[in-house]
Amino acid sequence: MDASVLMALRDPGGVPFYPVVFQGLYILTWALHIAFVLLSLGAMGLSIYGTFKQKSDPIWKVMNPHLIQTGKISISILIVLGVAPLLFTQVIYDPNWYVANTLSGMWVFIFIYTLILGYIMYYWYYYANKKHEGSGKLVGTVSFAILVFAGILMHSFAVTSIMPNDWMNMYAPNGVVDNSGWTMNVKVVRLIFMVSLAIPVVGIFLQNYSRFLSTRPDFSEEFIDYTAKLGTKLGIFGLIVSAIAFVLWMLQIGYLINPLSIAIVIGVVVLLYMIYKNNNSYITTGVLVVVALLISGMRELIRFDIMSKLGYSIYDYPVNLEIPSIVMFLLTFLVLGGVGVAWLLTMAWKVGKNQGIFDGSKDVAVTKLGNYTLAIMVLWMIVYFGWGMTILFMNIL
Amino acid sequence: MDIIGQFPLFYFPEYGSAWMMGITGTIHILFSHTSVGAAMLFAFLAYKAYKEDRSNLYPYMKKYGMFLLIFSYVLGSITGPGIWYTATAASPRGISALIHNFVWVWATEWVFFVYEVIGVFVLVYFMDKIDKKTHLKLTFSFALASVGTLALIIGIISFMMWPGTEAYYATGSASDAFFGINTFPHMFLRIGFMIMLSGVIGMVISSAMKKENLELSKELTKKMGYVSMLGGFVVIFFFMWYMGTLPDNAHAVFNVTKDEVIKDRIILTGIFSVYFLVAILRPQFISTPLASLMIVVILLGGLWPGEKLRESMRKPYVAGQYIYSNQIVSRDVPGKGIKSELPIIAQKGLLQVNPFVPENLKVITEENKLEAGKLLTRMSCSNCHSLEKTGKYRPLKDRLQGMDKDAIKATLYAMGEGAFPYMPTLKLPEEEYDAIAAYIVSLKY
Repeated sequence: MDASVLMALRDPGGVPFYPVVFQGLYILTWALHIAFVLLSLGAMGLSIYGTFKQKSDPIWKVMNPHLIQTGKISISILIVLGVAPLLFTQVIYDPNWYVANTLSGMWVFIFIYTLILGYIMYYWYYYANKKHEGSGKLVGTVSFAILVFAGILMHSFAVTSIMPNDWMNMYAPNGVVDNSGWTMNVKVVRLIFMVSLAIPVVGIFLQNYSRFLSTRPDFSEEFIDYTAKLGTKLGIFGLIVSAIAFVLWMLQIGYLINPLSIAIVIGVVVLLYMIYKNNNSYITTGVLVVVALLISGMRELIRFDIMSKLGYSIYDYPVNLEIPSIVMFLLTFLVLGGVGVAWLLTMAWKVGKNQGIFDGSKDVAVTKLGNYTLAIMVLWMIVYFGWGMTILFMNIL
Repeated sequence: MDIIGQFPLFYFPEYGSAWMMGITGTIHILFSHTSVGAAMLFAFLAYKAYKEDRSNLYPYMKKYGMFLLIFSYVLGSITGPGIWYTATAASPRGISALIHNFVWVWATEWVFFVYEVIGVFVLVYFMDKIDKKTHLKLTFSFALASVGTLALIIGIISFMMWPGTEAYYATGSASDAFFGINTFPHMFLRIGFMIMLSGVIGMVISSAMKKENLELSKELTKKMGYVSMLGGFVVIFFFMWYMGTLPDNAHAVFNVTKDEVIKDRIILTGIFSVYFLVAILRPQFISTPLASLMIVVILLGGLWPGEKLRESMRKPYVAGQYIYSNQIVSRDVPGKGIKSELPIIAQKGLLQVNPFVPENLKVITEENKLEAGKLLTRMSCSNCHSLEKTGKYRPLKDRLQGMDKDAIKATLYAMGEGAFPYMPTLKLPEEEYDAIAAYIVSLKY
């Protein structure tokens, strides 16, 4: 694809801030998104195995509902976190994203309803299993398969978006235009690598789960020990599978000797050691986040290089600076988001650690964070209406 | 090279790709409005329960919360990005315009989404696990965050209709684009609808509680009746105000079906007024099947035609009155350095300037005329009209039936001169008009 065409496909209004910022935010938010994609896949997959053991095994009896619940909440979170990279990619790589979406228009439509069907069935699985231990095997498996299929579709959109030299041939093979939107492209090794990461992620999750509950007297030592060991086994096995898939992927595209892929390999080795030792799984999780950021960076590097070779650089995108709305975002993100989410997570942590009813009104951190969150939200509303009325009066009077 | 930033065309036969967006959009509106309304109602109930020490309200809130979670957040959170996805496939440049104007507004909304999604789980699952005062604070913050999401999206969807003032075109500023004259009436119209919807859905739960606790069920149904009535009144009040803030082209479209729309709205208002009065005066008469049926009535009788009307009233534009539905930039926006693409299209033709037209169709010949005409018709018309003889979505057949080639060309010429305010002023070179007319004639409408 010609550079001039790629340039013409950019939005004529330009970007409202420096492209590198969108690029950074894309890498960060995609890493967060994929973390929950992998956790949901891992927890769901493991819970289906658990339904076979749940009736007879006292450990799985307790653990499996928690795994199902983790899968359920993770799907919600992955969806909401997925909105952000979707947003940022459209700002700087709009030619890629819009071409991929129009070429795969039917699949785009199907993707949404696949996700809805898969998630509704997951709730069905959740309620069936809640009602009768070990129930919901079939519906859980079908739900899992549907959600994996949704993931494959998402993978296809991403792959199509980085094949600019093939777009014309996908749209009009032999000069015959195809408006049907049935384009699908799958890169098997890349897909296997991404999906395989669900295994180490659920492994590290189980180590965290075990560590978190180890302070609760109502969970037996045997339970804590079993879940930690299962986490270690899954973590090590999964990481080895992922590492092999990663090396194959890198070999395939010629990036194995790249500093970023070497950093990822080092990260995986460090993770393997930390999972094996399981000294402090919370720190392991921190390293996992770093590796996820590196993988996200790797994806971006591949895309950036493909586009640069064609003469498209995101850094050349015309900038029309838009100050008020970025100030709104930064303040909302850092102040409201920071304080508000800190409040929710602090509360969740303390409720989880506590037996019986947790009295947040007597907890200084929870009370203060709650009061600050409410005050910030009220202030946010006042600023919003004040800002809107000022603009409106200036423009109509 | 004279090319414009048009993307490959995705076309869904018989219905058109915009129709797919409409379905997802309507479903999303039901869920998103339910979720914000329910968050406000939840806060109201939590306040009453805490202030009046009514512990019997908590089980209701728990049930309501589970319903809220499943019904609105799960489906709302998928169909929200779903609109975005289908809009991207159907109208890439329209969505691109919104993204590039409002990316930070959307990013801000995302912060609220994250808070809401974590919050909804905390709110419902911790109801029995934290003290009531902390829980009350949670419900307040959750309601504020939900209203925050509305406050942020409303300026964007209002801009889709029009920026509201001329300021945006000169400055290119997101603030001028966001706060147009229809933003606030539109916002309160939707808040009214959310309040009403929360009451209507609340009745599904309250009526289902009859067996467990008849008195509480009656009390709550009655309350929901009042809530819905209040919401309905706000909807009607702000709808009138909102209509007064719309541009001329919107009124031109509205006038075509005005009588029918007003008649339908009066019937709906009558039905729901009676329903809410029954809930207030005879709450025991409200059953779960009836309450569920009323949600379906809102979806099919209120939302679907309402959203179709709103989409029609935007015509011929898809965003900010500078991008046509057929993905052509139709005016200059000096504040953003955007130039109208109409002159270059009139001069060179769509086939020449669209980078995704294959080489064999770039120049029209006798051999490829029908094929080129087919592609041109799809590129120019299919975002708003289905092209097939049996098409369902504003079919071209209904507009051009019985016309010969010259009559069709005459219609196209008139359109190129801006004869119809709700159609794009799309002037094309003679050979492209000819190819389109030849293709349409070949369809034998």
